[in-house]
Amino acid sequence: MSQPGKIDRQPGYVLMSQPWRETSLLIEVLTRDHGRLTLIARSARRPQSTLRGVLMPFAPLELAWFGKTELRTLHAADWQGGVPQLSGLTLLSGFYLNELVVKLTARDDPHPALYFAYDRAVRALGAGEELSTVLRRFELALLASLGYTPTFDRDVDGRAIDAEQGYACPSDGLPELLNGRTVVAESEIVPGAVLLALAADDFSEPLTRRCARRLTRLWLNKQLFDCRLATRELLQTINGLSD
Amino acid sequence: MKNPPSLDQLISALKVLPGVGPKSAQRMAYHLLQRDKAGADKLARALDRALTQLTHCERCNTFSETTLCNVCADEKRRQDTLMVVEMPADLANLEQSQCYDGLYFVLMGRVSPMEGIGPNDIALAKLITRALDGTVEEVIIATNFTAEGEATAHVISELLKDKGVKLTRIARGLPVGGELEYVDLGTLAQAVYERRSLSR
Repeated sequence: MSQPGKIDRQPGYVLMSQPWRETSLLIEVLTRDHGRLTLIARSARRPQSTLRGVLMPFAPLELAWFGKTELRTLHAADWQGGVPQLSGLTLLSGFYLNELVVKLTARDDPHPALYFAYDRAVRALGAGEELSTVLRRFELALLASLGYTPTFDRDVDGRAIDAEQGYACPSDGLPELLNGRTVVAESEIVPGAVLLALAADDFSEPLTRRCARRLTRLWLNKQLFDCRLATRELLQTINGLSD
Repeated sequence: MKNPPSLDQLISALKVLPGVGPKSAQRMAYHLLQRDKAGADKLARALDRALTQLTHCERCNTFSETTLCNVCADEKRRQDTLMVVEMPADLANLEQSQCYDGLYFVLMGRVSPMEGIGPNDIALAKLITRALDGTVEEVIIATNFTAEGEATAHVISELLKDKGVKLTRIARGLPVGGELEYVDLGTLAQAVYERRSLSR
């Protein structure tokens, strides 16, 4: 007899976990076809539990669960491998991805494109790729999944972006040709060449990465309603303390 | 029916314990008052005593009744190594393993960005002062091998790098007596990634 709401072999990642009762864990997971959800991992904290080394953040898993309520029960978690455990700055960057996902996505709202972007970002972090490129790509994919797909190749009047001009990018809406116009509040000034590089998903220039960072921060802050990000503050604290 | 205020106060006081909701708290209160008054008296005294007498050791930050805990006060231990652990239970387990005769520092928590616990919420400032007091030559980071423990280890290493103390991290890998056939895949994979050289 099949159990109600049984889901098998679903690719997913653990975003966060917390102790639950004596020996169980409550885990928040991001899955490919079922979005973000909460699962109870029974007995996962027992000394002999094989789930201990498996239910780690940033490890690709295949999950099975059952249940029809908001809190479902983990049935199995299979380790898929391919990503060394993150450490140091890449680990903190991974936490940043997780915090964004937890704060900006709704539960039970499937978004395969976001899952693929997350999967790609975690694998890139594990492989030691250039950090800011990985983070900016993920931030843009997350914004797209929230229904806010930035336009980088046309300005607000429908004209193609001119690489030689400067543009004002507002927190919502299309880039606006500067050309001596006064800049609206809550916008970032970005050269046209940078916008064209972003349209081509080309982060090779340091200037592109710096501008992209300011842009995604402006847009994410709007989506977060200026809610503080603990990971961002943590990174700032570390940088401040080691100076 | 309304409970007498003192009973209500007891029930709501018991609810501060983790995993204890209103029902369990009520059951505990009735048990203490009805079936085990001597036990209740003992609990009240022990709690009162712990609250008034227990402080943190001024060197290692673990719970202690004296300004220096018995480990820190032991002059026969190596004074130049400092092992950093998350909780007193970790210290107790390390002591049982009889592998280390240096001193400790207990953080009383870990950095956990997802729960909003930052570097200022654990005893990092006290650790830096202790590690840089001139007697310590090696700091061994023995936080847990969870994502949060690793984040904490990274924060500590950032704070102590280039400060003239040697920084080490305890190793991870297969458990002693472990067989590759039965070990969990995450541990096995990490053991391969972090393999060590045997050639000299």
